[in-house]
Amino acid sequence: MIKRLFIFAVLILMGTVFLKLGVNYSENGALLKLGHYYVDKGPAEIGAANLVTSVVVTYRGLDTLGEVTVLFISAAGVGQMLRRTRKKAGEDDEEDDDSTMRRHKPSSEIVETATELLLPMVILFGIYVFLNGHLSPGGGFQGGAIIASGTMFLLLALPESHISRAMISFTESLSGFGYVIVGVLGVVLGGGFLDNRIMGLGEYGSLFSAGAIPLIYTFVGLKVGFELSAVLDRFREDSESN
Amino acid sequence: MGEILGSIFIVSGAFFLFSAGLGVLRMPDTYNRIQTGTKATTLGTILVLVGLACLHPAWALKLLILVFFVMLTNPVSSHALARASHAIGIYETEATVVDQLEEPTIEPETEQAE
Amino acid sequence: MLSLSSIPLSSIVLYSGFGLILIGLWGMLTQRNIIRMIIGFSLIDTGIHMVMVSIGYITGGTAPIINDAVPVADAVNRVVDPVPSALVLTAIVIGLGVTAVMLSYAVRIYQAKKSLSIEDCTESKW
Repeated sequence: MIKRLFIFAVLILMGTVFLKLGVNYSENGALLKLGHYYVDKGPAEIGAANLVTSVVVTYRGLDTLGEVTVLFISAAGVGQMLRRTRKKAGEDDEEDDDSTMRRHKPSSEIVETATELLLPMVILFGIYVFLNGHLSPGGGFQGGAIIASGTMFLLLALPESHISRAMISFTESLSGFGYVIVGVLGVVLGGGFLDNRIMGLGEYGSLFSAGAIPLIYTFVGLKVGFELSAVLDRFREDSESN
Repeated sequence: MGEILGSIFIVSGAFFLFSAGLGVLRMPDTYNRIQTGTKATTLGTILVLVGLACLHPAWALKLLILVFFVMLTNPVSSHALARASHAIGIYETEATVVDQLEEPTIEPETEQAE
Repeated sequence: MLSLSSIPLSSIVLYSGFGLILIGLWGMLTQRNIIRMIIGFSLIDTGIHMVMVSIGYITGGTAPIINDAVPVADAVNRVVDPVPSALVLTAIVIGLGVTAVMLSYAVRIYQAKKSLSIEDCTESKW
């Protein structure tokens, strides 16, 4: 009873704080100074049509490095927590088998065929999203999430499919390494970390424009996609340890 | 002319989508609901997209690809749902006549070379 | 009374974001199932993203992408603020990472105690 009253009081308190914030909020009529600078000088300096991409990748490149690091740490944490420990005696195996035996009904042929048809299209769409990150809404993280959803599709429809963990971890490490190399090249050859003027700014609005942004987003998209696929693979119950 | 044709398609698509919602509300058990939900919504979506292609002929190819994707994924997902709900034993209504997913009660004859 | 079109869109999104935060907080405090607490956390996350996006909105503005509809010279007067959108992009990815770690904790607790209720995990309670 006391606990309920306490929870109620906390919610009322936060509700009044939010209400005060909401009532005193009035919209900005025009862009603030920082946004004004990014929108004004962005297309000329960076050359990307998508202004949010130019902010995320170049103007605020260090935040993106922190984000990639946080994703890597969380994937490592999941991999560490769900590591397959050695069974102590035989009794653990039987209890697990009884509860999970029900789920081994194989998928029907319709689902398998549709999966084999649809999975390349999903991955192609993910690649399209992160390659065109500087021209239309999208980018590396969104494209990587689409690739990971393709993997989840595969794991749900064909539960016996085998995904090689060595290949996933190798590609992910290589992409992360490539991302940091491009950033360091920005420091060496250009103006700062992740400067995208190390490659020529092509014609505005075409696919090979905006300097190194397509390359950066390719590395980020591949890294995020494979990382999230590895996390999903860990959550599968009786995955054969590879 | 294209506008009138497109509008007719869109209105008929809306009618089919409405009947899908009505069917999901009124059908007696899960399997019937899955069936009405899938068939009527797929047809309604296809009609709405075709009508939109009549109104904006410049988008026709993209809308055709969308129709293809809808026809590829909607029936497969409803098939998987219906199989899964049968596998965990969701009850069927009393008006059921034939259940094709039950285990066969006739043993297959073994053909020996005799 | 206020007509529906006279309430600015950013206020609607702001209040919905605050409402989602309150609902998520209630869910985290009152539910006993671990998965429901994780869902409440995810609701708080989404509410915060909505609040951040609504702060950068300018009435009559459009998406900050330069193409045929928004020419380069006119962009400063027509687009919404791109900075909160960029911050929310980072925040969504980090919320995903935190949710993945929380779910792996839930799997381990279930494997150790065979129950998903938090009433059974009382070893560290004092």
